[in-house]
Amino acid sequence: MKRPMRMLAVAGITAAALALAGCAGSPNSDAKSTDSGSGGDAKTTLSVSVWDYAATPEFKALFDAFHAANPNITIQPVDVPNAADYEAKVTTMLAGGDSTDIITVKNLTDYSGYASKQQLLNLNSVEKQVPADKLAGLDSYKYKGTYYALPYRTDFSVLFYNKTMFQQAGLDAPDNLTWDEFASDAAKLTSGSGANKVYGAYVHTWNSLVQGIAAVQNDKDLNDPSDYSYLADQYNMMLKLQKAGDIPNYGEATSQKLAYQTEFETGKAAMVPMGTWLIAPLLADKAKGVSVPDWGIAQLPQIKSGGKIVTDGGPTGFGINKNSKNQAAAKKFIEFAASEKGAEAVASIGIVPSYQSSAITTKYFGLTGMPQDDLSKKAFAPDSVKPDQPVSPNTAAIGTVLNQEHQLIMTGGKSVDDGLKEMESLVKSQALSQ
Amino acid sequence: MTTTSVAQVESGRALRAPARGRRLRRRATLIGWSFILPNFLGFALFTLIPVIAALGLSFMSWDAYNPPKWIGLANFTRLAHDPLFWAALQNTVLYAVGHVPLTLALSLGLALLLNRKLKGIQFFRVAIFFPYISSLVAIAIVWNLLFDPSTGPINALLTHLGVANPPGWTSSTTWALPAVIITSVWKDMGYYMILFLAGLQAVPGELYEAAAVDGANAWHKFWNVTVPGLRPTTFFVLVILTVSSFKVFDLIFVMTEGGPGRATLVLSQLIYQDGILNGQFGYSSAISLVLFVMVLVITLFQYRLQNRRQD
Repeated sequence: MKRPMRMLAVAGITAAALALAGCAGSPNSDAKSTDSGSGGDAKTTLSVSVWDYAATPEFKALFDAFHAANPNITIQPVDVPNAADYEAKVTTMLAGGDSTDIITVKNLTDYSGYASKQQLLNLNSVEKQVPADKLAGLDSYKYKGTYYALPYRTDFSVLFYNKTMFQQAGLDAPDNLTWDEFASDAAKLTSGSGANKVYGAYVHTWNSLVQGIAAVQNDKDLNDPSDYSYLADQYNMMLKLQKAGDIPNYGEATSQKLAYQTEFETGKAAMVPMGTWLIAPLLADKAKGVSVPDWGIAQLPQIKSGGKIVTDGGPTGFGINKNSKNQAAAKKFIEFAASEKGAEAVASIGIVPSYQSSAITTKYFGLTGMPQDDLSKKAFAPDSVKPDQPVSPNTAAIGTVLNQEHQLIMTGGKSVDDGLKEMESLVKSQALSQ
Repeated sequence: MTTTSVAQVESGRALRAPARGRRLRRRATLIGWSFILPNFLGFALFTLIPVIAALGLSFMSWDAYNPPKWIGLANFTRLAHDPLFWAALQNTVLYAVGHVPLTLALSLGLALLLNRKLKGIQFFRVAIFFPYISSLVAIAIVWNLLFDPSTGPINALLTHLGVANPPGWTSSTTWALPAVIITSVWKDMGYYMILFLAGLQAVPGELYEAAAVDGANAWHKFWNVTVPGLRPTTFFVLVILTVSSFKVFDLIFVMTEGGPGRATLVLSQLIYQDGILNGQFGYSSAISLVLFVMVLVITLFQYRLQNRRQD
């Protein structure tokens, strides 16, 4: 018996040694770092994590513009081909001690994870170099007084509408609507039945489109579970629209996996409240010859009329991996991405940059296929853009519960009041358990 | 066991020629190990070490980046008070209670039906086995469309048959779990049917002849010959089916993502959610440990039952 035991031990040690060897090898050990990051005369290669590089042209636009301005620094994208896997892949990379220099921060939920785990470098010194007053969404990155990422792109919700359908229904353009006016317009725009059914509006299945918007327009924080009753009005309105058949049923939207872009492009819905990220694909489809309706954007409907335009939205940005060997060059890149030059690069392909100025807006609306009416331009400059779920250490866990209750309320599994009560108790339990 | 007996035989020889015997013995052991080494290495790297690590991690707090912190039983006390855990546990048990007997009964029924020598019977066997080898994602999406509450053919059929208010299936909290159970039974029954078909071939034909001579009807033959003859197969199917039911993840994740709300949230998804998405690897390891112990206890119980029956 002794011998097999010893052999087992040997095998175990071999396996462990192999495992360790696997961990030690860094996938980016070949990244040239002749210069330890001064960004001076020597050539530097910066690696940047990105998702679906081929279908996300903003990265290439930004990298090319940066390389043109800094010929000594080359950018090497580290591509995660499936955008949905991006966060899991980055988590694994960072846990394995990967030294990719710059981590692209896809959304605020991911950001709260990087910040609470202390995986990114403190960027307060870089924040002082960027035009902070012109960067929409910059505040969202303040985590306990420190910036761990800076934005290059900021999207916010607007109301996409089909101009032809509004004209046919004899309605005015949806300039600065309240949610009540939105609901009555939706009713007037609904027509047909069966395969010819046209909905007044399509509200996608995301919880942010009800909860997030209600939270920012009521000036509340969704991470705070003390009282969610302020969400009731918005839910009651959506349920009423759904019952009247003015928006597609939530259950059908999930089981048929309806896509908001298709619903709008094929004229299935006259109004779609959605993030400004929908603009670029609409322009791209039009350029490709896909039939796209005559569209415009309007301000996101508000709770009360006559007030400021408050919309939900958030930045996409870059942070520096603590293991980066090229920190100085990486800081240079992040500063560039947040600058007017960086903004021009991303705006040129229809992406909304964080840096806002009238020059950028003019450039943006100069793109082929952009609507030229004043309302669209007005909608492009909301008074306030706030995150629908601000950054906190519990963002991800709370987000899961918020989404579950959203589904329960929208599918009728729970009444609005019961759902909101349960949301309070569950968010409390998730927040306490950290 | 083989290694031990080889070692014993070798040690017998070793009395006569110590040096040569030791060499031979070592050679035999090494050859034995070299045969299983490739498999064992893979198993150790990707299963054994992670499982042991998960056992340790369930007593720690770990975000997959910073060093883990020992927190004792805190993960387990949190588990006891986590409403999401209890909801997932309830759904997992309900899923197993629906999935195991239905799959068992249907696959056995199909095996009996298709266990005859008819022209073209192979076609039906392949047709029923086909879902098992089809892409799971495709199956989930097609069934989602079939279950669509307003435009789906299932509800169209039910309405045609006179059901006034057909269920909302995947968009209803009450019907979502039955919907995923139906889909998974449809997907799995072909595989278990093949196992039962193999088992049926092993039941001796003389027993049926003898039963016929004794005047047994079809039901008697089934109950007194087929069922006892299939006992080893049934036991195997039951164990595998139970284990896979408790571990279910992929089909439900693609079909409903655990929704609506928590209606189809199962333990495996909760493990994924708390670990990969929320970055609480210690807590999700604790849930995995609970799932592991549950499956272990149930399987041991099934073994017990099987042994008692054989005695």
